[in-house]
Amino acid sequence: MSAPAIGATRYIGQRTLRKEDLRLLTGRGTFTDDVRVPGALHVAFIRSQIARGRITVLDLSHAREVPGVHAVLSAEDLGDLNVKLSNMHLKDEGGPPTRPLSGDYVSYVGDPVAMVIADSRYIAEDAAALAWIEYEEEDPLITCADAMDGAVVHPGTENNIVRQVGTPPNPKFDEIVAGAAHVVTGTVRHQRIAQSTMETRGVVSNPTGSGELTVHIGCQSTHVAAAAIAQAFALSENQVRVIAKDVGGGFGLKAQPWREEIAAIAASLHLRRPVKWIEDRLEALTTSCPARESDITLTLAFDADAKLIAVDCDYNSNNGAYPHMPDAGMPVMMFLPGPYRMPAYRFRGRAWHTNTVGLGGYRAPWAIEAMIRESVLDKAARQIGIDPVEIRRRNLLTESEVPTRNPLGIPIDNITPVACLDKLLTKVDVAAFRAEQAAARAEGRYLGLGIATYIEPTAAVGIFPLWSDQASIRIDHAGKVTANLSTHSQGHGIETTHAQIIAEQLGVHVDDVTIFQEDSTRSGFGPGAAGSRQAVIAGGAVIRASKLLVDKIKTVAAHALNANPDDVTIANGVVHIAGAEAMTRSLAEIAALAYGDPQRLPPGMESGLEAQYRYAPPSMFTHASAAHACVLEVDAETGFTTILRWVSSEDCGVQINPAIVEGQIAGGLAQAIGCVLHEEFTIDARGNPTAVTFKDYHLPAITDIPVFEYTHITTPSASEGGFRGVGEGGMIIGGATLLNAVADAMVPFGPLPEDLPMTPAKLLRMITSRSAA
Amino acid sequence: MKPAPFDYVVPRTIEEALAELDRGAGDATILAGGQTLMPLLALRMATPGIIIDINRIPELQGIAVDGGAVRLAPVTRQNVALGDAGLAKALPMVTTALSHVGHFQTRNRGTVGGSVSLGEPAAELPATVLALGAEIEARSINGTRRIPADEFYLGPYSTVLEMDELVTAIHFPDWGAGAITVFHEVARRPGDFALVGLVGAMTLDQGRIARAGLAWFGMGATPIKAVQAEAAIVGQTLPDIDWREIADIAVSETDPFDDHSADADYRRTVGRSIFARTLADAANQKVPA
Amino acid sequence: MSEHSIELTVNGRRFQERVEARVTLGDFLREQLGYTGTHLACEHGVCGACTIRLDGIAVRSCLMFAVQADGAEITTVEGAAAADGTLNPVQQAMRECHALQCGFCTPGVVMTLTSLTDGDQKPDEETLLKAMSGHLCRCTGYQGIRKVIKRLTADGVVEPAGEPA
Repeated sequence: MSAPAIGATRYIGQRTLRKEDLRLLTGRGTFTDDVRVPGALHVAFIRSQIARGRITVLDLSHAREVPGVHAVLSAEDLGDLNVKLSNMHLKDEGGPPTRPLSGDYVSYVGDPVAMVIADSRYIAEDAAALAWIEYEEEDPLITCADAMDGAVVHPGTENNIVRQVGTPPNPKFDEIVAGAAHVVTGTVRHQRIAQSTMETRGVVSNPTGSGELTVHIGCQSTHVAAAAIAQAFALSENQVRVIAKDVGGGFGLKAQPWREEIAAIAASLHLRRPVKWIEDRLEALTTSCPARESDITLTLAFDADAKLIAVDCDYNSNNGAYPHMPDAGMPVMMFLPGPYRMPAYRFRGRAWHTNTVGLGGYRAPWAIEAMIRESVLDKAARQIGIDPVEIRRRNLLTESEVPTRNPLGIPIDNITPVACLDKLLTKVDVAAFRAEQAAARAEGRYLGLGIATYIEPTAAVGIFPLWSDQASIRIDHAGKVTANLSTHSQGHGIETTHAQIIAEQLGVHVDDVTIFQEDSTRSGFGPGAAGSRQAVIAGGAVIRASKLLVDKIKTVAAHALNANPDDVTIANGVVHIAGAEAMTRSLAEIAALAYGDPQRLPPGMESGLEAQYRYAPPSMFTHASAAHACVLEVDAETGFTTILRWVSSEDCGVQINPAIVEGQIAGGLAQAIGCVLHEEFTIDARGNPTAVTFKDYHLPAITDIPVFEYTHITTPSASEGGFRGVGEGGMIIGGATLLNAVADAMVPFGPLPEDLPMTPAKLLRMITSRSAA
Repeated sequence: MKPAPFDYVVPRTIEEALAELDRGAGDATILAGGQTLMPLLALRMATPGIIIDINRIPELQGIAVDGGAVRLAPVTRQNVALGDAGLAKALPMVTTALSHVGHFQTRNRGTVGGSVSLGEPAAELPATVLALGAEIEARSINGTRRIPADEFYLGPYSTVLEMDELVTAIHFPDWGAGAITVFHEVARRPGDFALVGLVGAMTLDQGRIARAGLAWFGMGATPIKAVQAEAAIVGQTLPDIDWREIADIAVSETDPFDDHSADADYRRTVGRSIFARTLADAANQKVPA
Repeated sequence: MSEHSIELTVNGRRFQERVEARVTLGDFLREQLGYTGTHLACEHGVCGACTIRLDGIAVRSCLMFAVQADGAEITTVEGAAAADGTLNPVQQAMRECHALQCGFCTPGVVMTLTSLTDGDQKPDEETLLKAMSGHLCRCTGYQGIRKVIKRLTADGVVEPAGEPA
């Protein structure tokens, strides 16, 4: 599978086996809890038991007395080290400050108010159990509806609006809708989701010297973590070293260090000792920033030909008390038009504070745009009486209509949703399915088909920290290649994919290329995994840096061997001169020359074989396109949904490694299936989370996920390498496709309820109440 | 999620274990398979001062089949019981129920007695002992008693076992060579708590139902024996039975509640349809020669 | 709180250790013996990441105390490959089928599948799929793991992948 063939593409497009797997399969990864620092102390948090109120007694004296406890620190004890945190853009946007530990006012169940630092986590938990807290409890706000007219979550603020976004006013809008031939409205209430990375959050903070801080942390970018830590503690980034070799999933949860991680770092600075905090699963399910909880209502207005003439959207997002990713729907607003023609577009979005854990990021935070748009399109198709594929064909932007700008002015180019849809329909025989569905209905069996199309805005640039990526590549004196990248993987496989790119460019074996990305001091700044970007942007960087090296190798070889640089080629680590086989040299020999024999280099040339490049793609977004279809059955007896078939028809440009592309699509689809059918972070009326273990919070298991089928279209992007991002796509289109399939199965019983997930109980209720009627 | 401190003892005989239980005076907990106890300890929902590990007492392990009656020692691992040919022959419905308990990995440690004595309302084995009319043998330093399964369960995770009692055997009666297995479980995924489940046995005699033992799980605060449904079918010839009617009777005997997994309405609706279908299917089985 | 002396073999090496009663087997292997390959992802016995082999049988190390492993032979993921580093058939299949991404759930999957397929065992697909229902993975959607199961039960047949790029 890794065997190279002489010729053009040896590695790009190959299912090269992953280099990471050799350590991960043998238990030799280094995840945060695997990091041992001598003398490290362990943290357990003391947390609020109520969702809202004032602490009247905080008695930590018994906790402090437990043998093995070094300190029990409240917000007061941390003092100045109880710093202000910032969101992922590292900007102070005003509003109520977020600090590691809350003082005497608590705002959600689990709000950390003190921390025990002890010889072991066991002892720390013993001590934490001895904290005595008394409260003056207030009634908490749990939902957006509560927040709209409830008492402010943060004392001193005017209302519970975190922020709002919207399109500029259009006085003609309502008139357009009033004149429409068809108007269809739909609502989705998306439940709260716990991202549930298999490795929970964690940090090991080691103040290694005066003005030096080494932090191992589960993150999605060592650089963003270093920047956030530096900003929080008024250090400069060159005083903070962040290391993260292996991270067990990020998905947005670990995009930046949040309260507990910064608290542990503060404790290490306060005590001048290394401090380790590893989140346990109870904490992860109840106090890690959750995702998705939002309500969205979409109105589509059509002319008599079922062409969209106006789209109206209202969005409310539950941002909790301390959101690390405050969201009023800006990306939802930006991306909801998707690949469709929308002559008039109105959007209003608001983010609300509530007495719950603050909102965090999760794979494609705007995914609900596809879910609501595609489900209301299907609803419209049923209402108007045309085929759901047909309603899409009438409204999708065709290739001749791009480049264009979407209703918000965002440039859209190089998209192929129609081609993806066409290709999808060669794999899925819709007519045959409809016949099968009708026959099944006559027997009391309910099959459904869902189809959705979308475009994904990948590799965004233009707002900090979403800039460029940097690659620094060197060929050593033995001809082996080392690359330090500004990237980061939490399962993405960059050590393999980007080695494939470099090996392809340089003409060496992929086994001779080693990628490092785990240390913030070893490469330039990059935002890591955030928005499906690293194939495109870091891919571009490694290509350009590799090209610089190839040019240099050719120049050095040509000069030393008295040849024309245009006649020099490199293949399999060997440098060839066309027409002069006797002049063949190994790359190692040319490298030894470049480093060790500067007299034989062209005059004035820098010695060595080292190059770096920082790359930004040419457009604000590099779009990927796809169409998916899903066939399922809803069991009439139990309401259980069984997915029978799923086809992905995707255009993510040039694929570096199809196995990794498919892995990203599959991972996103599995999470989408979790959102639509299984997962629910539930909270009672007093603000207590009630799904606190994996027995109650249902992550999809192997029996819940079908085998996915893939078909690809390759439309190279305009960026270097022709890649397009693919990390989040499965999540975005997956929810839309699945919800459409469930709705289609349940057509005999009426429209689906608005609130996710579509549990067996909800579906069975639809079946039995209609059967009884 | 680390357990609170405790003292740990490993008795080697039943007598030693009983002495420890007595000494513990209510602050001691038995550790058998640990698959349920360990999470409770990790969450600090249970904080016993003493843990008595009974995994090294040979007399508490083993399966004895005598005619068709079976004696299951409580610390027998679920997977060991699952693979036991003698048990499968005598009581195939027990084997079927075992195959649904937890996951392959939890069955490697989880014990038959642990599941029976925990009394989880949605678990398979408590309903199985109830359906088959088993007896639970319990010993303390004060003596031994045999408790009929239909007197054993009081509520969720609550049984008549005293603090100083240890389950030392589960005695299943002989159901005869041709007993028909009744089993159906509705669960989101293998290993999940059942939303609704039904287990039991029937025997036929010349086309009539001679004997029936049927119990629900997931349909109330304890497993529930469908005694009225049983009475309604015993003595009936198969063609005379309207399984939907019997299902209504069986469901009327339940008292499901709403919980995180499902609400009572769902359980009753699904229970009614699975009862009818499962019994009808079971009744069509031929009695082996 | 009681402390106990235990003797056990881990990955072929004999150990004599003192442990507090309440330390779980998973924590003991990781912290006291340094075998960090076994991962604790839930500590309540649902996710399977902590799976090891105890006397050959797959068990969740978060659901046992170290003290209970006195006298036992334990294999962790660090002991799955051969002494010379050659991956065992499960590990090799997982690599070839791209059955992992972040790698955190992986050690448990390796140990469960190894425990069911090594030696003369010839399980069917259904058995392995059922055993895999005791493992949670957040990254892969289990696609590669399904291919691994087919590979392990079909004597080396390589599953065709998706369409060529």
